[in-house]
Amino acid sequence: MADKFEPNIVGFLCNWCSYAAADLAGSNKLEVPATLTTIRVMCSSRVDPVMLLSAYLRGADGVLVAGCHPGDCHYQTGNYLARRRFALMHKILETFGLDSNRFRLSWISASEGKRFSEVTNEFAEHITKLGPNPLRKMPFIE
Amino acid sequence: MTGATIQAKNGVNGAVSAVLKSLKDSGCVDAVLVPTRVKSGETFVYLLIRNPKMLDSCAPLPPVMPVQGARALQSLTRHGKVEQTVLCVMRPCEVRASIELAKRRQVDLENVLFMSLDCPGALRTRDYVNDPEALDKRYQGILNNWEGDGLRPTCETCVHFSCEDVPVDLHVGLVGTKEEEAVIIGVSKRGEELLDKAGIECSEDVSAWQVEVEKARDKKAGNRSKVVSELKDKAAGMDNLGLLFADCINCHNCMRVCPICYCRQCFFDSSDQVRLRAEDYFAKAQARGGIRFPGDMMQFHLGRIYHMGLSCVGCGACEDGCPMDVPVSQVFAFAGDEVQKTFDYVPGRSTDEPIPTLTYEEDELHEYEDA
Repeated sequence: MADKFEPNIVGFLCNWCSYAAADLAGSNKLEVPATLTTIRVMCSSRVDPVMLLSAYLRGADGVLVAGCHPGDCHYQTGNYLARRRFALMHKILETFGLDSNRFRLSWISASEGKRFSEVTNEFAEHITKLGPNPLRKMPFIE
Repeated sequence: MTGATIQAKNGVNGAVSAVLKSLKDSGCVDAVLVPTRVKSGETFVYLLIRNPKMLDSCAPLPPVMPVQGARALQSLTRHGKVEQTVLCVMRPCEVRASIELAKRRQVDLENVLFMSLDCPGALRTRDYVNDPEALDKRYQGILNNWEGDGLRPTCETCVHFSCEDVPVDLHVGLVGTKEEEAVIIGVSKRGEELLDKAGIECSEDVSAWQVEVEKARDKKAGNRSKVVSELKDKAAGMDNLGLLFADCINCHNCMRVCPICYCRQCFFDSSDQVRLRAEDYFAKAQARGGIRFPGDMMQFHLGRIYHMGLSCVGCGACEDGCPMDVPVSQVFAFAGDEVQKTFDYVPGRSTDEPIPTLTYEEDELHEYEDA
């Protein structure tokens, strides 16, 4: 069997928008990467970036956070706060020269099933180019 | 800025305790929270003092910082504001940590006043308990010359050792003052009133002291940029980062002594740390060749940098408390500087500045989101 690399992607999806978009993509029979593991959260701001770090350190090749478009948050301001937190985590990763490009923040509304399929496929392609998460082979790191 | 010269024939501690006594006697301060040497003589704790006589033995600038003052204040105001006026005598980093805690609603600053001192840094607590007498002498030398061996590495790179960007009411200036003398300054309006009521007239020009502070700060800033640029290489990439933290034994002491870490249930102590079943560990070991126990070490340190980096005041308590000499505080300073710059935030500067992760602008940070 040829060892074709298929990236493991963990996606934290907001219940009100992006998770519904994932559902819509499914109903419309749009293609979504088979190795995307979705985790439903009530809001993108529910995601403590330490969770993203956790996924990455435990070997995820890519980590996606998706929520409602700015201004459309079900809880008014959650996604603005999520963006700040994501930026902070990104900055820390950059500071230590870590793979900050394995992390992505996207806004996908409940009606954007097509966009959900595009974003996830495009992200999977991007991660495939990067190759597997090197931490998967590092015994002393986690 | 004006101040008053105070005599320090019996050392800084004697001079400041005399000031504290006159403040207490004037009736505008009900209690003083100040470091005091414990009976064994080996270390210091914070004492909430109401009896003025006990102020004789207080040590406003102890050679070590075994307890972070913000933690003491946090215990005092755990149930909300205090009804009596408390003057807290702390190092600048302890005041700044208190401000950060106040923003997180873990400290109530009503009726709380702060007095800080020019701080030359602190010695390592572990060194001190082994030989208090010799280290007392060494610290006296450091106070006289404003440099010397044995200071904690974090303190060597601290640029907030005086009262600039530290919201204190009273400050005691020590840098470059004549031997056996110090200056006391009412920094805030309340501070000025206090000194006025205590009969301490502040009319002297203190610009000479300010110049010396500036000089000392330049030197420390130089040290800091040197250390940061060294760390830039030493902490680049996961391999190097793993080496930096390699000695960590997961005791989480750095978290427990950190003044800013306050959660009663810590994410890193929570059950998801132990929820993995043996098969999962075997599977992971299969993929990696082997896995480390205790695990989650990198997650703990990077996670803490995420949780605390913005508010880190660089007090060095984490490194002082580390039994394995992991350079926690230096790594924090390095990452903290970067993230604080991103959000243009100086921790502990003012209670009016919100913590950046608890506020937002609608139109910002687009480089971090998917278009």
